Amino acid sequence: MIPDLSTSNRLPYSLMLLILVQVLCAFFFASDIIADYQEVDRSGANRFYLSLEAIATLSIFAAIIFETKYILELLRRKAHLERSMSVASAAMNDVILAHFQSWELTPSETDVANFMVKGLGISEIAQMRGSAEGTIKSHLNSIYRKSGAHNRGEVLSLIIDSLMDRPESRL
Amino acid sequence: MSKVKVWDPLVRTFHWALVGFFAANAVFVDDDGKVHIWIGYTVAVLITIRIIWGFVGTKYARFGSFPPSASAASGQLTDIATGRKREHIGHTPLGAWMIYNLLLAIIVISASGYLMTTDMFWGVEWPEEVHELAVAWAEVSIIMHVLAVIFESVRLRTNLPRAMVTGYKIMNSDR
Repeated sequence: MIPDLSTSNRLPYSLMLLILVQVLCAFFFASDIIADYQEVDRSGANRFYLSLEAIATLSIFAAIIFETKYILELLRRKAHLERSMSVASAAMNDVILAHFQSWELTPSETDVANFMVKGLGISEIAQMRGSAEGTIKSHLNSIYRKSGAHNRGEVLSLIIDSLMDRPESRL
Repeated sequence: MSKVKVWDPLVRTFHWALVGFFAANAVFVDDDGKVHIWIGYTVAVLITIRIIWGFVGTKYARFGSFPPSASAASGQLTDIATGRKREHIGHTPLGAWMIYNLLLAIIVISASGYLMTTDMFWGVEWPEEVHELAVAWAEVSIIMHVLAVIFESVRLRTNLPRAMVTGYKIMNSDR
């Protein structure tokens, strides 16, 4: 039986809520610290504790950046899995994405490459992305350059090759 | 490229009047003075007019054209994550959430501010605390709103602040 993967396809709304709360806290703490620093000379408040507070606040900002990057990464992974719930297509998607990552494609190029692998034409990809066809063509050129392939077929071959266990590769 | 009329004069006047009055009360005007209270009343009237306009106004001013939707918002986030440049003519889904957030924050600010002036709540602490908390929340939201507008203007290569002045949005894709 194929397990239902629909839950893993859902967006992390709780994580988004957490980011929102952290943004609020970060701004409150930051404004508090700025106010305290302005008073530090007059009241003689403890600079040590103030520095600790500043480090804590900075770490919240760092956490916000980290979590936002994680969510964007998740959205990129999910972008081409809209309707597929099966284990096989999720695994396939990961294999494809791993290739794109090893070629160091940008997020835009990864998106275009994904559409290309699924058989969409240039004009269709342009429409899906709200870009001009010329933009898509230049994305395709950098995909070919980075992967070392010369056309759509060769890109597909590179991906399919890695799925096959070829005897030579074991030697 | 095409020019689309998106923001009617009422929406634009409301937006910039709110900017002016909020800034005045938050930064420039004495909190305990009469002027602060009168600006507060003006803001409350502005919000009321905008909400009515949200039901009877022009196409992109209506709440129906920018419903709060989590799935649409995550769609816009996916566009950002994958570098897609799909344009929205009216408010974007994420922008819509910010509008409801700001409307609500300013309603809370106005209501709590009014309670502070009533005899019934004279000497009662919580309306003032709510008032100040809501103002802080609104200020954080405004900072995020401005940053988001700049981010989207750069991402989609269209001058969104100018659209809120002229009423016309430059669309890069032809649709």
